[in-house]
Amino acid sequence: MLLEVKDINVHYGKIAALKGISLEVNEGEIVSLIGANGAGKTTTLKTISGLRPLTSGKILFNGEDISKTPGHKRVIMGIGQAPEGRGVFPGMTVQENLLMGAYTRKDDLTKDLDEVYGLFPRLAERRSQFGGTMSGGEQQMIAIGRALMTKPKVVLLDEPSMGLAPMLIAQIFSIIKEINSRGTTVLLVEQNAQQALKLSDRAYVLETGRVVKSAPGKDLLNDPSVREAYLGGH
Amino acid sequence: MKGDEVTSEETTPRRNPFSAIGHGIDVMRDWWEHAKVWQRYLVYIGAVVFALILPAPAIGSFMSPGADWTSVLVYPIGTYILLAVGLNVVVGQAGLLDLGFVAFFAIGGYNVAYFGTQYHWNYWATVVMGIAMAAVSGVILGAPTLRLRGDYLAIVTLGFGEIVRITANNADVIGGARGITNVPHPPPIFGTKFLLDPAPYYYLMIVAIALVIIFSVRLQKSRVGRAWAAIREDEDAAELMGVPTFKFKLLAFAIGAMIGGLAGGVYAGKAVFIEPNTFPFILSATILAAVVLGGSGNLPGVILGAFLIGWLPERFRDFAEYRILIFGGVLVLMMALRPEGLLPSRRRKAELREGTGGMGAMGAEVAGPTTEASAEVNQ
Ligand SMILES: Nc1ncnc2c1ncn2[C@@H]1O[C@H](COP(=O)(O)OP(=O)(O)OP(=O)(O)O)[C@@H](O)[C@H]1O
Ligand SMILES: [Mg+2]
Repeated sequence: MLLEVKDINVHYGKIAALKGISLEVNEGEIVSLIGANGAGKTTTLKTISGLRPLTSGKILFNGEDISKTPGHKRVIMGIGQAPEGRGVFPGMTVQENLLMGAYTRKDDLTKDLDEVYGLFPRLAERRSQFGGTMSGGEQQMIAIGRALMTKPKVVLLDEPSMGLAPMLIAQIFSIIKEINSRGTTVLLVEQNAQQALKLSDRAYVLETGRVVKSAPGKDLLNDPSVREAYLGGH
Repeated sequence: MKGDEVTSEETTPRRNPFSAIGHGIDVMRDWWEHAKVWQRYLVYIGAVVFALILPAPAIGSFMSPGADWTSVLVYPIGTYILLAVGLNVVVGQAGLLDLGFVAFFAIGGYNVAYFGTQYHWNYWATVVMGIAMAAVSGVILGAPTLRLRGDYLAIVTLGFGEIVRITANNADVIGGARGITNVPHPPPIFGTKFLLDPAPYYYLMIVAIALVIIFSVRLQKSRVGRAWAAIREDEDAAELMGVPTFKFKLLAFAIGAMIGGLAGGVYAGKAVFIEPNTFPFILSATILAAVVLGGSGNLPGVILGAFLIGWLPERFRDFAEYRILIFGGVLVLMMALRPEGLLPSRRRKAELREGTGGMGAMGAEVAGPTTEASAEVNQ
């Protein structure tokens, strides 16, 4: 098992955002988290990447307890994240943004840059434009590309399709599949439950800080209660 | 990898008296960004020559008809520049709002005064001591507070500045409210004695400013500078890139503090006499105003800002009581018309347009109930 979240509780001040969430991600999988607004999906990802501290519970990565490891060290271990709202560095160019992803690396980066530019030709055209002046969809590409530049074993993607046109959404999902087939494990948070579930090996449904259901993606697509709540009821 | 080919600068539809000047400044900055190495060196040499002839009486009679121009150049102008370059590391580069910067200036000054008068240490040794003590206090202040964000950090640093001043006011070992008198001057350099003539102090100040500028530019271009830029623009994203954000914020505090301490040491070497009221809160605010007015994060801008903030009130002494009012009015006007500062960097403009950057992430996050666990996030 690559990533194992064991019964974690996370608080914002006194408010409990996660109330005993457990989940597992195996090497090579695409795993999705779906759930309503405020269910705790972003918090779960932030806790895995080390931006939020745990109140209790454990996070194991490659069998090693990383619950107390600071975020920047988890990056080196192989956890990459494209944050919600993208978090692109506005005053850095596209290329500088991507190179920030390789901040801890000292090896040759040309191959990795080429790979990201191959996945997102749009970024290659705009490599010297400021991140802050890129469109929403383009910023999403920067965020994903930048996370890939950390050479992650598992990449955490927080709503990569947010605010994108349908054409671009389809494109992003096929890129996620491509990233996965090149050997990166993916933990995906999505509002677009339909497409996320189609793509996922397994998925978890979150409700107010708890996992209420977990099953292979295809099964959840046909689950009546899931269809009702997250897939528009048909 | 600079923003070289970006030409799609938005033309702001605003029309105001400053826009023409602003445009001229932008053109100059763009020229500078593309300038060849030899062109840049010419500008550096020009700047040094300019600094050397600046105290000339011909210039002084216009710049400072009321007071001795060279003295004005040492304090407030030179001292403000030194302080502003130091504060710029914290505010402009790392994006942390520090409202108590004067504390480090005080620590540098008091070290020179105390060890010079009590133990008769060599002046330079006292300056080094002041810098070291300032760095240590920067770390002591930063370690618990840099986990806070934005406005919380501002309040705590403001408190720190006051604590240092009030402590000095009440500590009899360092003279209490009376302060320390007969602070020794620097020993002669190459036969130049440091006595009442302000000129040697001016040249000492120029050397200090030049060293600090070189140091600051080197830092900005290094991995450290890149990490600071990332922290300033989005702290969480920086951590996700593998930047040890807490360590780098602490480093910014320590380096800013050292420059503040150096400024205090140089100042005390000329002042003969220092007291707690030399280091009021308003000085922290003034230096911050200089940084923001000039163009936070961009050294030429910060230096220009500090120069103007130091010089304008001296120049318009004739207006007596009204001068601070006019000065404040001019500041408000300038910031309304050119909020990114007089000489912003391109990058800073892009940050401001995005609505982040500015001065630190104001979106404070509430830590979890387990302080221990929350303490480890940023380590
Ligand atoms: N910084 C914060 N301070 C206080 N409460 C927070 C903070 N961030 C999130 N929360 C709360 O934690 C809970 C979970 O939020 P989270 O962002 O994880 O939800 P989410 O599932 O990602 O929602 P969405 O689909 O809208 O992105 C919510 O109730 C939210 O209000
Ligand atoms: Mg979310």
